[in-house]
Amino acid sequence: MKGLSSIERIILESIGTKSLTYKEVLNQTGLQENVCFNVLQALIIRGLLKSEGGHFKLTDSISPLMLEEINSSDAKKFECFELLEALIEQKINKVFRFQKIAMDSKDEKIFLAMLSNLETFLIDAHRKAEKVTPMKERKVIFWGVGEMQILLNQLIRG
Amino acid sequence: MTLQKRTLQRYRQLFPNETLRETSARTSIQITRVFRLFNGKTMKVVELEAFERIINKKIGENPCYGNFCKIIDEASVVLTNKELTNLTETISRKISLKNYSKFYQFTEEQNISIA
Repeated sequence: MKGLSSIERIILESIGTKSLTYKEVLNQTGLQENVCFNVLQALIIRGLLKSEGGHFKLTDSISPLMLEEINSSDAKKFECFELLEALIEQKINKVFRFQKIAMDSKDEKIFLAMLSNLETFLIDAHRKAEKVTPMKERKVIFWGVGEMQILLNQLIRG
Repeated sequence: MTLQKRTLQRYRQLFPNETLRETSARTSIQITRVFRLFNGKTMKVVELEAFERIINKKIGENPCYGNFCKIIDEASVVLTNKELTNLTETISRKISLKNYSKFYQFTEEQNISIA
């Protein structure tokens, strides 16, 4: 498997530069106990985490090769697939729109400007709430736009 | 992992809550022998075949598995290397997530030691 699964990444991101106990990791991620336990063990075995006096923290010396693997565009692409699939399959409180929109060039410019505003808003919102919002309560947001012809040709080329 | 271990693990995945008595009845292997096999005693070929026969029968009952194998065969011929790599990655991630959700029982003492 390339890089990290979304669950592994969420645990690493929760720990970040801090040093957390098992209960704190559970509280941050909202994962089931057995899943959290298994992922922590796997991350320790992979040399990404270490356990010291009941606290989990990132290993000081993660090899550049491992870092490159974790942060590669392929790894992020597959993490995005996982979360997108989970969002589409979500049963409760689902907010997901997928539409094919006809748009003239003027409206397209307006739309791209609105996306840019949205991005600025999200960055600000994140900065304000980052310290007080546990990982499990963070929102997963996707957006993107593509032209049908280009996308379909891409699908066929593979 | 040896073939015997793999076979028993696969059997347990397909029949997770089966008792030794039920396994014995299904495989026609004596119950004490089944107990020993699950505890690492080396299998005879005839016993391995009995387990494999039941595993194959159980898998055969699931039409999704048959379709999956058919599609994978076709995919390996039709799809590009990049597409096959993407599929492999997607499947291996699903397996990894499934493995993480397995429940390993641990005592309070062990729980504290990992925390």
